[in-house]
Amino acid sequence: MNLNLAEKYRAKKYSELLGQSAAIDEIKRFLLEFPKKKGLLLHGPAGTGKTSLALALAKENNFEILELNASDLRNRKKLEEILKPATEQQSLFKRGKILLMDEADGITGTDIGGIPELIRILDTTKHPIILTCNDVWQSKMAPLRTACKLVEMKPLNILQIIEILKKVAEKEGLRRELAFLNQVAIKSRGDVRAALNDLQSYASAENLIVDQTERRDVEDTIFNILRKIFKERGDFLDIFDSTTLSLDEILLWIEENIPKEYKNEALAKAYLALGNADVFRGRIYLNQSWRFLIYQNIFQSAGISYAKDKPSIGFTKYERPKRILKIWMSNQKQEKKKSISRKYSHFVHCSLKRAMRDFAILKPILQKPIIQQQIKLTEDEIDFLQK
Amino acid sequence: MAQNDIWTEKYRPDKFEEVVGQQEIVKRVRSLVQSLNIPHLMFAGPAGTGKSTLALIIVKELFGERWKENYLELNASDERGIEVVRQKVKDFARTKALENVPFKVIFLDEADALTREAQQALRRTMENFTNTCRFILSCNYSSRIIDPIQSRCVVFRFKLLEKKDISHVIKKISEKEALKISDDAFETLYETSEGDCRRAINLLQATASISMDINSEMIKIISSSTKPADIRIVLDYALAGDFINAREKLLDVMLKESISGTDIIKAIQKEVWNLQIEPEIKVKLTEKTGEAEFRMIEGSDEFVQLQALLASFVMAGRGKG
Repeated sequence: MNLNLAEKYRAKKYSELLGQSAAIDEIKRFLLEFPKKKGLLLHGPAGTGKTSLALALAKENNFEILELNASDLRNRKKLEEILKPATEQQSLFKRGKILLMDEADGITGTDIGGIPELIRILDTTKHPIILTCNDVWQSKMAPLRTACKLVEMKPLNILQIIEILKKVAEKEGLRRELAFLNQVAIKSRGDVRAALNDLQSYASAENLIVDQTERRDVEDTIFNILRKIFKERGDFLDIFDSTTLSLDEILLWIEENIPKEYKNEALAKAYLALGNADVFRGRIYLNQSWRFLIYQNIFQSAGISYAKDKPSIGFTKYERPKRILKIWMSNQKQEKKKSISRKYSHFVHCSLKRAMRDFAILKPILQKPIIQQQIKLTEDEIDFLQK
Repeated sequence: MAQNDIWTEKYRPDKFEEVVGQQEIVKRVRSLVQSLNIPHLMFAGPAGTGKSTLALIIVKELFGERWKENYLELNASDERGIEVVRQKVKDFARTKALENVPFKVIFLDEADALTREAQQALRRTMENFTNTCRFILSCNYSSRIIDPIQSRCVVFRFKLLEKKDISHVIKKISEKEALKISDDAFETLYETSEGDCRRAINLLQATASISMDINSEMIKIISSSTKPADIRIVLDYALAGDFINAREKLLDVMLKESISGTDIIKAIQKEVWNLQIEPEIKVKLTEKTGEAEFRMIEGSDEFVQLQALLASFVMAGRGKG
């Protein structure tokens, strides 16, 4: 059968959805309280299980489901034609019925009137309507935000992704060395669908390291740029034209590789130049002053290059930037600390930031069972505190 | 009210007369509340001096038992941008307040975390809902709040709590919780909390979770756990010219406890004075540190700027820079 893994292993029951217990509780409450709110808006990054959760809800409750993809019916007329009758009819077999409107951010699009019509339908519908979208905070989603109950789906953490990959790899007889799965999981950044797609595409090519395939072209050009900066000192003004990488990404590449080319004082000077480039990068963002791009450009090329009297010679094996990855992985580890701090901060009227900063002092306080109960910590969070 | 065993909440004053310090402010705010005619307010001052407490007392006085439905607390540094703030304000402002009070209250904590653009948007929001809502903005520095907002608010400046105020609070709690705390231990508690009452109480409770008999040593140990401990090592590497190790260690320190760049820079600023270098170099490095902090606030990348700062330390270590 020619089914992609993400489809084939889509979670079908609540119990199969990893890491979304909070969202599941919310969706159960939504059904109980229906028709207090008639729409449920599931929002979150790609591959967190929004569609799966909606399908699981239908399955668990034995509801008939009418699935509509917003990209098929963006405008008022289509909505009125298709969705409206559906919301007013009884289910064919006297079962309950829900309507799933996937990718609600796709609505409106070219034609106007989609969202107001949807709001009208939400007002009259006899059946619950579930909508999904990625970014609920865009301004066009404002009317839907108030008309619907909002439920956020968070990206999965790396361990949960690995767990899913392991299970699927085992069933499919695919590669499952931990190092390989690890790489796939890291690359996915919490997106299950991306992880399973990668598992499928990389697993068939034996002995392939995850990143090498698709990034090779990009890396060729960035290596050229680094060579020009560190060794050749050519014409700096159009040096960044040859790559699709953004200046910010290039900055990370340079940051990673300066120590490979420079020692001692030149090394320090190079980082000072990089700091200057970054100042102008910040100013561009602060005021949208794109004029400053030229300054970032010059500090980031000539500034780095002339940190040393004479250019380097010979071959250098450049490496891809690791800092962002390290930060992301460390954030993953900090997830629990963050969720505990968030609960605590709501409880004591302080900011999440402050709670995170004072966490070492708060930890002994939060180890008291009675307090854990009062701020409603989960089992996982309590475990984390005992460590 | 639900039972609450976190002391900063358990012992948070509920009434104006229980508030410690800030007597002038309390008096003025109280008369505003009694007249049922409060303008937008701005509370400016350091952390842990009673800004949130006073806001909570205001709404409890205004709305009594039903304060929760008429009060929205937002934290500018936690929200995902001004759009979210605006949306939450809109949702909250839609329903009417209680019959006898003609408005609801929105407390926006750490308003100085908002960019200037976001503050402009906030100003419009304040105008749009001025019939139904009063804003209480809290910030550390009022200078970081744009003039049009300041001019729409009555500004109150909170001072750091004095030693006798903190002492009063700590004594009261120690009595109620049956703690023994020596004078010496109180000194340490006061010094390490730097006039921040929330921090003093948290330190007290954290220490009390180990022993009811509180001494100075224990407080020192617990309070030092929040300081980025290895900053000195980072700086020593840099001064010795070992940039690579300094950089590696820095990333380590930042990630291990997820300490922000601005907190690291504060620690560096303090540590510079303890280094074994000539005083004039200390001054120079302090200048560099201040510049790096400013750049971060202005929106530069924290780690890139810290690296550049370490580079300055390397230069200074070699007698250049």
